[in-house]
Amino acid sequence: MVDFRRFSIGRRRFLKTTSSLIGASALSGLGSAARAADDVVRIGFLAPLTGPVAAWGKPGLDGCQIWAEWVNEEGGIKLPDGNRKVEFVSYDNEYDPAVARTGATKLIREDGVSFIMMLGGDTWPGVQPVADRTGMLFSTLLPSDLSPDTPTLVAPAEVHPVYNVTGVAWLAENKPDLKTAVMCAQDDALGLPSVATYLAAFEAAGIEMLEEPLLFDPATTDFAPVVTRLIAGNPDIVCLDTCYSDYVHPICEQLFQQGYKGQIISCTADFYDQIIAKTSKEFMEGFVFQFPDFDDPALNAEGINFRDPNRFFEVYNERHPGEWGAVSWEYASIMDLWKAAAEKAGSVEPEAVLAAMQDGGKGLHAFGEADWWGEDLFGINNALVGNWPVVVIEDGKAVIKEMRSIPDWYAAHGDLLKKHMEAYGQMWNQRG
Amino acid sequence: MPRTVLLVILWAAVAAVLVALPHALSFSQQEILVFMTINLLVVASYRLLTLTGEWSLGHVVIVGVGAYASALYTKELGIPVPVSMLLGACTSALIAMGLSYPLFRMKGFYFLIGSFAAGEIIRLLWKRFREPFGGPKGIKGIDPMPDFSIGIWDFDFFEPVSYYYFAGAVVALCLWLLWRIERSPVGLTFHAVHWQDKLAQSAGVNVRAYRTLAFVVASGFAGLAGALGAHYIGTINPNGFDVETMVFVLTWTIVGGTATFYGPLMGCIALTVLNEIVLREMGFEQMRPLIYGAVLILSILFLPKGLESLVQKLVKPRRVEP
Repeated sequence: MVDFRRFSIGRRRFLKTTSSLIGASALSGLGSAARAADDVVRIGFLAPLTGPVAAWGKPGLDGCQIWAEWVNEEGGIKLPDGNRKVEFVSYDNEYDPAVARTGATKLIREDGVSFIMMLGGDTWPGVQPVADRTGMLFSTLLPSDLSPDTPTLVAPAEVHPVYNVTGVAWLAENKPDLKTAVMCAQDDALGLPSVATYLAAFEAAGIEMLEEPLLFDPATTDFAPVVTRLIAGNPDIVCLDTCYSDYVHPICEQLFQQGYKGQIISCTADFYDQIIAKTSKEFMEGFVFQFPDFDDPALNAEGINFRDPNRFFEVYNERHPGEWGAVSWEYASIMDLWKAAAEKAGSVEPEAVLAAMQDGGKGLHAFGEADWWGEDLFGINNALVGNWPVVVIEDGKAVIKEMRSIPDWYAAHGDLLKKHMEAYGQMWNQRG
Repeated sequence: MPRTVLLVILWAAVAAVLVALPHALSFSQQEILVFMTINLLVVASYRLLTLTGEWSLGHVVIVGVGAYASALYTKELGIPVPVSMLLGACTSALIAMGLSYPLFRMKGFYFLIGSFAAGEIIRLLWKRFREPFGGPKGIKGIDPMPDFSIGIWDFDFFEPVSYYYFAGAVVALCLWLLWRIERSPVGLTFHAVHWQDKLAQSAGVNVRAYRTLAFVVASGFAGLAGALGAHYIGTINPNGFDVETMVFVLTWTIVGGTATFYGPLMGCIALTVLNEIVLREMGFEQMRPLIYGAVLILSILFLPKGLESLVQKLVKPRRVEP
C-alpha cells in the first residue's frame, strides 16, 4: 500500500528526505543516475534553451561553462571541508511555467543542486511553490518576480528594467536638443514594467512623450505599420523599450527603410552587427542601449568585479561566434557573487549562502559595489543595485560611455517611477 | 474463460499498473506524468470534436477558458477548488455554445480558420483586461487542490503522486464518459454527420445541432482539463494557450491517428515520452525541436494512419489459409 504520509512534510524535513531519496533512487536505478559527488557542487540552470526566448537563456549557459572551467582550473569553490568543482546541470524550461516546475523538481530532488539560476518572468510562478517547499536559493534576471513572498529569490545581476533610466539620463545630458519621444513595446510581462520605467525616465529628463506607448502583440511579425505609426509625429527619439531581439531587428530595419534619421534608444541591441548589416553603419551611429561588449576597455577599470571581462569575451566569441548577447555574462556574474558568498559562509547550503550574500546589505555586482535594495518596488530587498553602463554604438561598435548610478537616479526621481509602475499595474502588490 | 472475466482481469491489471506507475518513476517523471494525464483528456476531448468532421484551432483556448474560469472562481468568489473545476468545465461548454452560432455557419477549412480567430479573440481579451484576467502575466497564486486525509493516507496535492491519483481518477472517468458517448447512438450520429452529412440530413438529423453538441461536450471536458492543470501549476497566462500549444495537440492527434478512441491517446503518450523523457535523458535537450519535427515528418511518411495502425495490425485476426 502506498504511504502518502511521507509526502506531507515541512521544508527542513523535505530537504533531508529528498537527499535520502536521491540516494535511494540512484541505488535503485529507477531515478536519474545523477548524484552530487562529494567533491562537486552542482548548480542548476533553469532557463529557456529552445524557442523564441532562448536568446536570453542559451548564451548565459555558454558563458557559465566558461566560468566553470576557469573556476575549476583554480581549484573550484574553496570550502572548509575541501575544494569543490562546479558543475552546471541545465534544464530547458521552454519559457513555460509547467515545464519550469518539472525542471526545478528534477534539479533539486534528482540532481541535488545547491543553487538554481533562472531567467524568470512567466516561468517563476510555476517554480515558486517548489521554492517555498524546498527553501532552495533561486536567482532571476527579472526582478519583477520579486515580492515579499519570495524570500529565497534574488535578482543579483540586473535590475530590469530600472537600469534603463541611465540611458535616458545620459541622453538628456549629452544630447539636450532631443525633446520628444515615442515608444513601442510588446505587451507582455517584460515589456510593460520597462514601459513604465522609460516613461518615468523621460519625464524626469524633461522629454515629452508625443503619444501613449504603442503596445503590440508579441505574435507580431510585420512591423511596418507599427513603425509607420510610431514615427508619424516626427519624434526626436524612438524608444524600443525592452523588445526581444526578434523585434528590435525588424523594427530597426523598418525605421531605416522608412527614412527615420533620429535617435534610437533601446534596452538591448543583441547581435547589433546583424542590424548594422541590414541597415547601415551610419544609421546605427549613436544608438543607445544598456548591454556592453565585454572587450570594452572601460571594463578593466578599478571597481569592476567581473573577472577578466576582455578575455571572457574573447573566449566566448571563439567558441560561439556571433552569439554574444545581453545575458552572455550575466549568469556568470551571478556565479561570481554566489561563489564569494559560499566561500564566505563556508557552505553551499542555500540558507547559509543567502545570508552571506546579503550580509551588511552590500554586494559586489559586476559593475561595482552595490546595495541590496528593492523594498519600494518589489516589497523585498533582494535586488542588487548599483552602477550600470550606458552603451552607444560608435563606428559600428558598442562603446561604454559612462557608468551611471541607479540609486542616485532613484533618490531623485523614485516617486516618478512608482507613479508609472502603479499606472501600469507593475508594483509588487498589484501583481497577480 | 468467459470474455467478461478476461476483460475484468485485464482492466484490473491496467488499473494496478497505473496505480503503481508513479512509484517506478523519478520525481521529474512523476511531474511529467501528471501533465501527460491531463493532456490525455485534452486530446480525447479534441477527438470527440473531430468525430463530426470539424477540426478546430481554438481547442487549446477552450482549455484555457476552463483554467481561467476555475482560477477566478476560487480567487475572486472563494468557491472550493473541486466545485470551481466543474464550474470551469461548464464555463468552457457555455462559451463553446456561444461560439457555435457563428462558427457552425462555416465548414471545413473555413471552420478551421474561424475557430482560430475566435480563439485568438478570447486570448487577446485575457491579455487586454488586467482585471480580472491579469493581462499578459496572467493569474498566479491559484489555489491548489486542498489536502486531505483518508485513514492513514495523507493527500498532499503539491506532490505529483497525489495529484496524479486525483487527476488520473478524474481523467479516467472522463475518458470512460467520452468512450460511452462515442459508442452511443449520439456518437454514431456524430460519425454519420462526418461521413454522410447529406444522407444524415435527409434522414432528419439536424446536422448543425449535432456538430454543436459535439463542440459543446468536447469543450466541457477540455475546460475540465484546463482547470486540472491550473490548480496544479498555480499559474496561467495567455501564452500557455497559444497556437503553438495547439500545434502540439494537433501533432499528438495526427501522429496517434483519429480512427480509434485510443489513437490520439497513443500519440500524446508516445510524443510526450519522446520529447520530455527520452530526448532529455539522451542529452539532446537543445535539439529536441529538431528531432521532434523529424519524428513527426517520418511518422507521417511511414505511418500515415498513425500509431493506432500498428495496434490494428497486431490485433487484426489472421486469415487462416484453407
